[in-house]
Amino acid sequence: MDWSMFDIYLPIAGIHFNVLILLAIGFSVGILGGFFGVGGAWVVTPALNIFGFHMAYAIGTDLAHIFGKSIVATKKHGKMGNVDVKMGLYSIIGSVIGVEIGARNVMWLTAKGMAGPVVRYSYIFMLFGLGIYMFYDYFTKDKRLAKQAAIAAEGPAAAAKKKWNLPPMIHFPVSQVTVSLWTILGVFFFTGWLSGFLGVGGGFIRMPALIYLIGCPTAIAVGTDLFSVVFTGAYGCFTYALKGRVEIVAAFIMLAGAAVGAQIGVAAVKYIHGYGIRLLFAIMIVLAGCSVVLKQLQLNKLAGYSVMGCALGMCLVIIVLMIQGFRKEKALKAAAASASQA
Amino acid sequence: MKRLRAWGLLVSILIVQWLPWRVWAEGEGLDVPEALDKKIVLDGLSGISLFFAKNYNEHLWLYAIYCTVLMAAVGMAIAYVTDFILSALGLDVTKIEHKE
Repeated sequence: MDWSMFDIYLPIAGIHFNVLILLAIGFSVGILGGFFGVGGAWVVTPALNIFGFHMAYAIGTDLAHIFGKSIVATKKHGKMGNVDVKMGLYSIIGSVIGVEIGARNVMWLTAKGMAGPVVRYSYIFMLFGLGIYMFYDYFTKDKRLAKQAAIAAEGPAAAAKKKWNLPPMIHFPVSQVTVSLWTILGVFFFTGWLSGFLGVGGGFIRMPALIYLIGCPTAIAVGTDLFSVVFTGAYGCFTYALKGRVEIVAAFIMLAGAAVGAQIGVAAVKYIHGYGIRLLFAIMIVLAGCSVVLKQLQLNKLAGYSVMGCALGMCLVIIVLMIQGFRKEKALKAAAASASQA
Repeated sequence: MKRLRAWGLLVSILIVQWLPWRVWAEGEGLDVPEALDKKIVLDGLSGISLFFAKNYNEHLWLYAIYCTVLMAAVGMAIAYVTDFILSALGLDVTKIEHKE
């Protein structure tokens, strides 16, 4: 089969690109994001770069697609009721400044001809670091659960004293927390900068920071994170487009794939149980890191197979497990119905 | 077990340190410096590509606004359509609960 028949010319990025690859990237990231609750955009920028996008275009196009996908997620999760609006407004300030500085850093590096390698090295550090942490988390879960159970048995612990109380302190009535303005701005600035510099949503850092550093209840952290991603993505899309680095046609095609994938991923949550899937996720992160290494070593073909292989393989596992869970539930319902008739 | 964990930690640190160094040593090195302002050649373009390329060349602000607004609109439209299709297939997509 002649795969070049699916090639289209993307005039803004100035390259020919295969539509099926764009759809596959979007679809796999959509499934992963929908299933795990974190965006999965960290696959998109490396994948686009591996398949031929210059780094600034890869980041800009990824941010545009993140924005579209965050709208889908917001509609899907319907969690906006859990947003701490006051914190959300502070998040906009911190994130927008962070995204802008991150984007300017990338443009400066682009003009110097260093954006590709520097962003790839950053990805290598981030993906391997995250992957190793997730392996650690997986293999120590039993011990951690036992420790938590022991603490719970001893009774409620005294609230941890916040060490960082630099004024002005701000109270957030919805989250029931009082924190330093600088902590809030710092968290959102850093995640915004990560978004602008790497083209990621930043949820994998923002969510733990909201829960453990700021002290938000989990439900409100989810809603506020979603709120923040919408604005971060919107501003990231706008500022990169203004810098001429968004290939909008590619973003549309990826969004179409991602939206379908996200629905499947979200539906799969209902049918797949267990902690084991996290191990697969950790493996996928490490493989994504390996593909960036291969790209940097100029082994482009191998890098392409590696990044798409791990993303689509992971999706296949999720879809197969979902179908199995769906069939099992259907069989149980049918058995219950026949039992009630008898 | 403690020794195994210490070895695991050591190997992890070495991998994180060694890989970027190795990649730096053998890597692509620098990209070609790129002009930050550029114009798209419109010859041979048609339809949506021509529309966006023209806006890109003539009104970058408008192009940025189109990108942002259209991504939101398309995202919303796709969410409704796929929701409808999955519901028609019999998948319950109204409730979300993470079970671990």
